[in-house]
Amino acid sequence: MRRVVISGLGTLSPHGLGTAAFWEALLAGKSSITALTSFDASAFSSRVAGTIPPFKTNDYVPKSYRKATRIMARDIVLAVVAAEMSVRDAHLATKSVLETGPAETVGGWFKPSGPRVGCNIGAGLICADLEEIGGAMVTARNEDNTLNLGKWGRSEDVTLTSGMENLTPLWLLKYLPNMLACHVSILHDTQGPSNTITCGQASAGLALGEAMRTIQRDGADLALVGGCESKVNPMALMRWSLLGRLSEKNNETPGAACRPYTTDATGAVLAEGGAVLTIEELEHARKRGATIYAEVIGLGSSSSASHSVVEPDASGEAPGMAIRKALKDAQISPEQIGLIIAPGHAIPEWDAADVKALVFAFGPALGKIPVLAARAGIGDCGAGSQALDMVAAAMSLHTGKIPPSIHGEKPLAGIQLSRGDNAAAEYVLVLATALGGQNSAVVLQRYA
Amino acid sequence: MRKRVVITGMGWVTPLGHDVETVWRRMLAGDSGIESTTLFDARTFPTTFSAEVKNFDASKILGPTYSQHQKAGRATLFAVAAAQQAWASSGMAAAKTDPYSVGIYMGAGESGLDFKNFTDVTLASWKDAEKTLDLKKWGDLSMQTMDTLVEIEQEPSMAITHIAMEFNARGPALNCLTACAASTQAIGEAAEIIRHGDADVMITGGAHSMIHPFGVTGFNRLTALSTFNDNPRKACRPFDAERGGFVLGEGAGVVILESLEHAQARGATILAEIAGYGSSADAYAVTDQHPEGRGAIVAMNECLRDAGMSVDQIDYINAHGTGTKVNDSTESWAIKEVFAKRQGGPITIPISSIKSMMGHLIAAAGAVELITCILAMRDGILPPTANYSMPDPECDLDYVPNTARRATVNAAMSNSFGFGGQNDTIVVKKFAI
Repeated sequence: MRRVVISGLGTLSPHGLGTAAFWEALLAGKSSITALTSFDASAFSSRVAGTIPPFKTNDYVPKSYRKATRIMARDIVLAVVAAEMSVRDAHLATKSVLETGPAETVGGWFKPSGPRVGCNIGAGLICADLEEIGGAMVTARNEDNTLNLGKWGRSEDVTLTSGMENLTPLWLLKYLPNMLACHVSILHDTQGPSNTITCGQASAGLALGEAMRTIQRDGADLALVGGCESKVNPMALMRWSLLGRLSEKNNETPGAACRPYTTDATGAVLAEGGAVLTIEELEHARKRGATIYAEVIGLGSSSSASHSVVEPDASGEAPGMAIRKALKDAQISPEQIGLIIAPGHAIPEWDAADVKALVFAFGPALGKIPVLAARAGIGDCGAGSQALDMVAAAMSLHTGKIPPSIHGEKPLAGIQLSRGDNAAAEYVLVLATALGGQNSAVVLQRYA
Repeated sequence: MRKRVVITGMGWVTPLGHDVETVWRRMLAGDSGIESTTLFDARTFPTTFSAEVKNFDASKILGPTYSQHQKAGRATLFAVAAAQQAWASSGMAAAKTDPYSVGIYMGAGESGLDFKNFTDVTLASWKDAEKTLDLKKWGDLSMQTMDTLVEIEQEPSMAITHIAMEFNARGPALNCLTACAASTQAIGEAAEIIRHGDADVMITGGAHSMIHPFGVTGFNRLTALSTFNDNPRKACRPFDAERGGFVLGEGAGVVILESLEHAQARGATILAEIAGYGSSADAYAVTDQHPEGRGAIVAMNECLRDAGMSVDQIDYINAHGTGTKVNDSTESWAIKEVFAKRQGGPITIPISSIKSMMGHLIAAAGAVELITCILAMRDGILPPTANYSMPDPECDLDYVPNTARRATVNAAMSNSFGFGGQNDTIVVKKFAI
């Protein structure tokens, strides 16, 4: 069977721009969750967030494509930036790279064949820009300040614009979740299988897993995979506030707000970010002399089939089965795992279900395996979360280091949170449990 | 050798009805499900009509389990109803399959915003003087007004969440949202999951409804919709010289896929076999298809290669056929490229677009069209392309105009091309040992 490795990383998180900033912050045990200042959140009880430091989108987009950034919602921008970082890290001279330089495929740069490159980037529900839609709606109001659908469709005075005409003609394209993959495929001329998986926090592992299968069966040699999402917006804050999922007790101490797998967890923190990983068939990577971060050797997925669309299956059985399937696919035993990167929602009932899942899959071996909740210093980036976790896994295997799981002074019974002093791992398991009940588990192996 | 994947159940909810045989009968009669929009007042919109699912009472159709799906979005309810039909027709309810071997892969769309509450709250929070939103007020009002479940049910993963709940399906669970290609991609990838041995059974298909004010706004702003407001039933004219855009539809289609050995072991009735699947990206532009159908050609060729079939073995193509100027000529061009070496030439393959009768079900379109291919094989009859009257020199193939036609169909191809450039093709064939 064809083997699949990770040969490029593009990372964008509250810890900073790029994989180095992300990894150094993780190793340093830093929290990058801060007071939410990007919009007025004073109506909400949770006012902390994981926000990406400012950057210029155009720095990551070639001149010929910059006009298109006007029809990119934040989620799409994140994917475009992460993909540009990833192909550059992988030394792939894609269409976009060739336009901005280096212009020639020399010095270790490799020009891939478009039809042999796939693209599989997980996405979330892209939230409406309230200022934009609100600004259009006010042009079609009734006297009681409700929307007049008649005026929205056509102005009474036909020489004037209707409500909807105040939206840019390409308005819809800003919000289609497949636009993350579509813009990336255009920029890098990836003509192979392209998909957009929308399974919340489990999206990125499912996307990587699907692309891995495509490469294994010779449907592609390379793929840009992962997930990106921004939940730092009023719509997401409103939804998660209604659900009572957010941490509300740490507005004065944002850095301490997200406390996964501890007895003092108070709720989740919304964030933005994600990653695009370049995955590649092993021989293809070897031949071109690529840097190999890790090998992808196992995939398992499952559905919790819970009785409720908002609560976990308290038994943790389904995510536990996803882990078992991933270990079986990887042909390794639970004891061989040297690091578990677990979701760490920091929502008590979800954390408890995750621990049950780990106990279910690992049994007594769990006592010896450090658990890292990388989200503790970042927050929940939706479809981007597991992508960041997979970058952390790849970097841990590549550097031989294991970051600490922060705020872990009072861990839940049954698991050992990473303290940063564990021996290097040979195998890392990345688990994601989506809040809609989908679970994905991925096993990476050190490449030597 | 890889596992063979067969289809053992199917179900749909479409603008032409809520059960397999009614919809099929109406389709063969060239009937139309396109009428004035009733889900909201669209009288002043550039497009005033659509293909709505009519008389859909979820509580009646879903029966006793309705209570757990009550707050689900419209498309999610379509999805569960279509899955129920598919599950029932497959006989899986009586099978003793491990729940972890039963997966789900849907191409289901997001549900629309809670329109009335969202627009009320947003307008009430608008500051006219500053031309901006008072977010404090918006936050306070939305926290008082919005319904928690209605908000969370908008997530595009909710169809698979509800289907998992309904059938206790605990295997791989995925949703993809690649616009108009989504459910073809979902079924193709579901077949790959079975071929690889990651599940024995997959509940797969798609569901979508964008017939809401902002959905129609989005497509009207793109000028993608037909505006033949005077005669909705004639509005969708795929491959006709006077075609002027697509008609927005809604609905769901779901099939049950199984590994051949699983289906045989439980003595299931096999409806068809998945012969091949091909997927590609145009990588050209988010607004336009590649002018030479580059991605469409790759998807069809990859599908044939995957099926190990020649261009002579395809007896029918269910086209993407949206009725937009560009899609239909590009798709015709791509079919001619792929089938150039067919004996007698590409003109000898009958092609039809059922969107002419039920509109474009967006993410759900591919699943409904694949079921149509299975029925065409079963009954030896091809559904027509309705509203075809004036040939277009750029669309010079056999589109089965206006009247259903008898034909022996041993294998059929279904095309789906997504807005943004994602393309998927599936070939199904009659099952033979």
